[in-house]
Amino acid sequence: MLKKYFPSLGVILAIVAIFIGLPHFYDNQSFLFNLMLYLALAEGLNIIYGFTGYLPFGYVGFFGAGAYGGAIAITLLHISPLLGVLVGGVVAVLTGVILIPLLRLSGAYFAIANLAASQALYLVVANPSLEKITQGPYGIDLSSVYNANAGYFAMLGVLVFAMALVAYLRNSNFGLSLLAIKEDRVTASLAGVNVIRARSIAWMLSAFVAGMSGAVFGWYTAVFYPSTVFSLDVSVFTIVFVLFGGIASVAGPLIGALILYSMYNFIGISTPQYFQLFYGLLIVLLVLFLPDGVVSLLKKGKVYVP
Amino acid sequence: MSIKTLKTFFVVAASAVLFFAAVPSFAKEAPKVITIGTLYASSGPFATSSTSQYEGLKFWVSQVNKHGGVFVKAFNKKIPVKLAAYDDQSQTATAGMLYNQLITRDRVDMLVSDFGSVLTSVAVPLAKVHKILLFDPTGTAAKFFTPDNQFVVLCSLPTSGIWPYALADFLVQKKIPRVAIVYSSNDFNQSQAVTLHDKLVKAGINPVYYEAVPTNTSNYSVLLHSIQATKPDAVIEFGFVPNDIAFLQGLQASALKFKMVFTIFPGQQFDLIKKNVGAKALYYTYTYPTPPLLKYSDINYGPSLDKFEKAYKATGKKVDFLVVAGYNTGLIMQKTLETATGFDQSQFRKAVADFSGKVKTLDGQFEVDAAGAQTGEMLPVAQFVPKGAGGIGMTIVYPKALKTGSEVYPAP
Repeated sequence: MLKKYFPSLGVILAIVAIFIGLPHFYDNQSFLFNLMLYLALAEGLNIIYGFTGYLPFGYVGFFGAGAYGGAIAITLLHISPLLGVLVGGVVAVLTGVILIPLLRLSGAYFAIANLAASQALYLVVANPSLEKITQGPYGIDLSSVYNANAGYFAMLGVLVFAMALVAYLRNSNFGLSLLAIKEDRVTASLAGVNVIRARSIAWMLSAFVAGMSGAVFGWYTAVFYPSTVFSLDVSVFTIVFVLFGGIASVAGPLIGALILYSMYNFIGISTPQYFQLFYGLLIVLLVLFLPDGVVSLLKKGKVYVP
Repeated sequence: MSIKTLKTFFVVAASAVLFFAAVPSFAKEAPKVITIGTLYASSGPFATSSTSQYEGLKFWVSQVNKHGGVFVKAFNKKIPVKLAAYDDQSQTATAGMLYNQLITRDRVDMLVSDFGSVLTSVAVPLAKVHKILLFDPTGTAAKFFTPDNQFVVLCSLPTSGIWPYALADFLVQKKIPRVAIVYSSNDFNQSQAVTLHDKLVKAGINPVYYEAVPTNTSNYSVLLHSIQATKPDAVIEFGFVPNDIAFLQGLQASALKFKMVFTIFPGQQFDLIKKNVGAKALYYTYTYPTPPLLKYSDINYGPSLDKFEKAYKATGKKVDFLVVAGYNTGLIMQKTLETATGFDQSQFRKAVADFSGKVKTLDGQFEVDAAGAQTGEMLPVAQFVPKGAGGIGMTIVYPKALKTGSEVYPAP
């Protein structure tokens, strides 16, 4: 029974070993942190997009809600940052609950409505009238609890949680029912799947991962503005990483984020003037020749992808 | 061991300890090059300002290297300067990663932040954790400067909260009773609005209009009519460059007249704003003048503005305030290296504290408080006036020490 989880467990352990070991050889902790952040977000997005087919362009809304939820809890309620991370996740889930009606839409309509919702959330958080709670557009300061190493390992914890969730979905009946919804909602419903319940759970789990990631990001960054944590770049990067790697597996989003984010940084640092051209070409080639992501190559070679 | 031998041993040991304590700097080998790390944004919302600031810093590097490098007191010799710079594309997450790259991978000797508070925000905690002094040219948010952080120094602008000191004094002294304040809702503009509001209220002037608008506001026509309804004598608009342009364009289009209108950025980005709104829209409006529009006298460190402009223009580029700000940051680092008795970050910070209040550059008086916030530079009030046929000039109207003429009030 548990044997089917072994390959996924192997991947998770490898990732943990890498991110515990790498800081001993590579000094730029911020790069490793950002890499883990995007790995976690990619896995979080994978839960809703990879398993149910709903592509949330406004995924950053959960990230921003989590960052602000955690930061407000830390500054106003004086809770510990680690508890703040959990609160961030819960705030993102509550945001997800409010947005559940969006799941009645599909395809491009869902993507656009979700994008609009994330921007509406941004404007609410950045509203100067809410200065006493959110600090409005003036930025929130967590420097009193800043702890880079603790933030780093908290991010690793969130990443492990996200990977474990995807591993569960990949190998469980619940994951299968989500994939059935993705194929055809009506047929899945006729086969006994509670479509509304299942997709709502996936939606909230996805929000929880993004919210916790946002809260850790806020803690690690110490001073941030609404424009930072509601930046659409976060959604765009995450979506591209997932598409590049491949969906509905633990390894796909990991491969996508590892390759593309590393490339983004190394090319972006050495030759920023060519970076966008290179990145754009890569994505065009990917869409043309590997629409199911890099893992589809492995699947074609009959390699099991956890 | 005889008493004499023991005595000799103690004398030699004590001398050695005293020697190494007295000249710790010489114990360290002088680096072949001083590496200064910085970031710039070639794209995104901060690109225009960031690039100018970076150009100013680059120009400082080229100037000191032309003379064999910068004098480093800790090694009693001149050492060439190398600039390590990365493009953060105006993204804070990327900026955080790149600041870390500069500190931990490139192991730069000195760190300079990118333009403005947003891109500086991620550098402040990193500098504190890695105990590296951050030379901050233009990140003016007050929250960066706290007593528990000794690793940040604001170089080329005062913290935004104290920008309107002279403006408030001017309004009070002119006894302008009805003041309207409209500001963009961001850290930079809000802190100025709050300061001005509080100073006016303290002087018995209650602003007749005091509202925030979203920073991305691009149409002020409705707002202008709302302001007009309160019958103000002076309208103060605090915004970023796009806000100022939209506000001045809206004012011109609406044909509304106020006795006094103030905006921030014509005094910093004059050419850009004149190009967008035209000279006529700026006539009789007020601003904070900064170099090159403002020339300080009695400079005791670095070139005068005229000399700087001449040298910089030889590169084929135009001088604006942010070029001066970047260059001035270089001068402050130069003075730090010339003053610090040891080549480490705590000695750099000590050196800054030592020469604070004693240095006046082309950007004005350099003086920082205990938290590193700039308090020496002061932003005067100036008015644009017609000059010749279709031309435009500027008169500094406050404070008295810098005054070059009298204001035209009310505006015709």
